[in-house]
Amino acid sequence: MTASTPVSQPMDTTLQADTTLLGDVPPIVQYALQAGFKAPRHEVRVHHVQPLTDGVIEFAIIDPYIARHAQAGQFINLYSHDDMRLMPRPFGVAQVQGDVVSVIFAVVGEGTEEFSHMRQGDTIDVLGPLGKPYAIDMPAHYVLVGGGLGVPPLIRTAQLLRQQHAEHTSTDTASRSVTTAVLGYRNVHFADSMMQAYADQTLSIDDSQGNVIDVLQHDIAQHITVVTSDERGSGHMAVDEQGLPYVLLSCGPHGMMKAVAHWAAEHHMQCQLSLEQRMGCGYGTCVVCTVDTARGRLKVCNDGPVFTREELGWN
Amino acid sequence: MINVYEPHEWKHGTVVAGVPWKNPVGTASGTFQLAAVRDYYDVSQMGAISTKGVSPIPWEGNPSPRCAESPAANVNAVGLQNPGVDHYLVDDLPKLKAMGATVITNVAGHSDDDYAQVVTKLASHASDMLEINVSCPNVSHGGMSVGTDPVALYKLIAHLRTLTDKPMIVKLSPNVTDIVSVAKAAVDGGADALSMINTLVGMRFDTRTGKPIIANRTGGVSGPALLPIALGFVWRVRQALPDIPIIGIGGVDSGLKALEFLYAGANAVEVGSAALFDPIAPLRIARELDDLLDTRPQLANLLAEGKTWK
Repeated sequence: MTASTPVSQPMDTTLQADTTLLGDVPPIVQYALQAGFKAPRHEVRVHHVQPLTDGVIEFAIIDPYIARHAQAGQFINLYSHDDMRLMPRPFGVAQVQGDVVSVIFAVVGEGTEEFSHMRQGDTIDVLGPLGKPYAIDMPAHYVLVGGGLGVPPLIRTAQLLRQQHAEHTSTDTASRSVTTAVLGYRNVHFADSMMQAYADQTLSIDDSQGNVIDVLQHDIAQHITVVTSDERGSGHMAVDEQGLPYVLLSCGPHGMMKAVAHWAAEHHMQCQLSLEQRMGCGYGTCVVCTVDTARGRLKVCNDGPVFTREELGWN
Repeated sequence: MINVYEPHEWKHGTVVAGVPWKNPVGTASGTFQLAAVRDYYDVSQMGAISTKGVSPIPWEGNPSPRCAESPAANVNAVGLQNPGVDHYLVDDLPKLKAMGATVITNVAGHSDDDYAQVVTKLASHASDMLEINVSCPNVSHGGMSVGTDPVALYKLIAHLRTLTDKPMIVKLSPNVTDIVSVAKAAVDGGADALSMINTLVGMRFDTRTGKPIIANRTGGVSGPALLPIALGFVWRVRQALPDIPIIGIGGVDSGLKALEFLYAGANAVEVGSAALFDPIAPLRIARELDDLLDTRPQLANLLAEGKTWK
């Protein structure tokens, strides 16, 4: 394999965030929350639509509610204006800056084509945030392994880890988490700069150079020490040079994630995987997006999309 | 815009097979999972809740992918995945009753014996009505194969009639040549009401692979595209059977479309796919209809007495 992109330092995004507090939570969302219910489908404004590379679009809406509540790996439903296209389009939240929530998608069909032609100020309906998030509360060395359009939800995850870091440094330096991103692309490294804003280290590779397992093997494996887990006694746990336990979070193509889960198992790393499945409603009522797990046939949309390696039996 | 979250005094109720509904709008079976929906609105405010089909033992349903989009429609083949009647009796049913909901339990089976087992178990529980699902197109045995054969349907319903005193709705399939003969068979067998329509059999293909998008190959088509088809079925059965209570289902995504079903002769409607596109759609539609009936006192009075527009 060839060398991956070198280490980069996080950029300061504080100024950018301060300029983007743009809107109020819509009344229908306020009514729902006051009555003790989740935010319903509601209309918001488009903030920007920007091509990142061929056929890949960053699409941003102004949504103060979702901005404040989107957890790591959660997604939102976007809805077409065309009454012929009723099914929601689910997209992982990629980034939040102030009130602006962005997602990243490839233009693959009529729905994404429609969204790609939207402009600042257009309206669009949204539901969310949806789905079970990655668990990132534990201080750890998080290795975010993304492939292609699986990278965006990991950017949001890195952003939240960065925020935790900022909150922790003032009081408790010992318990702060570290983030290493390992990103695989078909060709253009379209999300590296966004990830670099939040991750402590961003490594990336494309198909002409190798794959994410090559990066894990080349750049991560050497830093692992396997210790006996205190909690489980006989269990083993991978820790980094500072003694932080490694936790691998992945999102990407099915085959890549299976390989990543297998690699994590071999290296005694905890592993959480965010699955993709053809969805219907996106909030748990239609039961079309199922996956077979150790706990039975579960819904990807609201039993997941995040599952542990053990739940999926991907060892 | 209607605020579905503020308290509302329902003005126009209906009666279906002797069971009072707060309003003429229910949720359609297969699109209602209590654990998901209860987070979005007060489900006890619906006219009735028709729950996901329950079978005698847990069913894991069909493999994925299970759905495909189509213009103004959705094609699905879930295959009645459900945790079984025993789980339902200690989970969804008591929870719904504790919330104050009027509950229609949708009964699924692969055989006459399956249906009989579920109906027997439900007979002594709090469900307000039963809905016999003889119209699911996505299971290999039972389901639609019973509901498209008047002789088999009569035999099944007549047997179930001996097992329960609960009001029994039979949910009809549109995948038939003559809906009236099937409707008559259900009524002759002892059905107290009919609900119609279940989904139409359909498919979508992936033009890159040349294969069906849905793993089950065929699925059931639902959504706004079905509205005129469902209205046609309801109207024809109402012409043939003036007195049987009918719950209209198919493409209801607004109060106005619910109203169309009432003018076609339905006593009530159920909302299905609209809930997949907007979680609070069923309650919003019920509220819209409640206001629309203010200016239609003749229809509202008929519904309140359990009668229908003719």
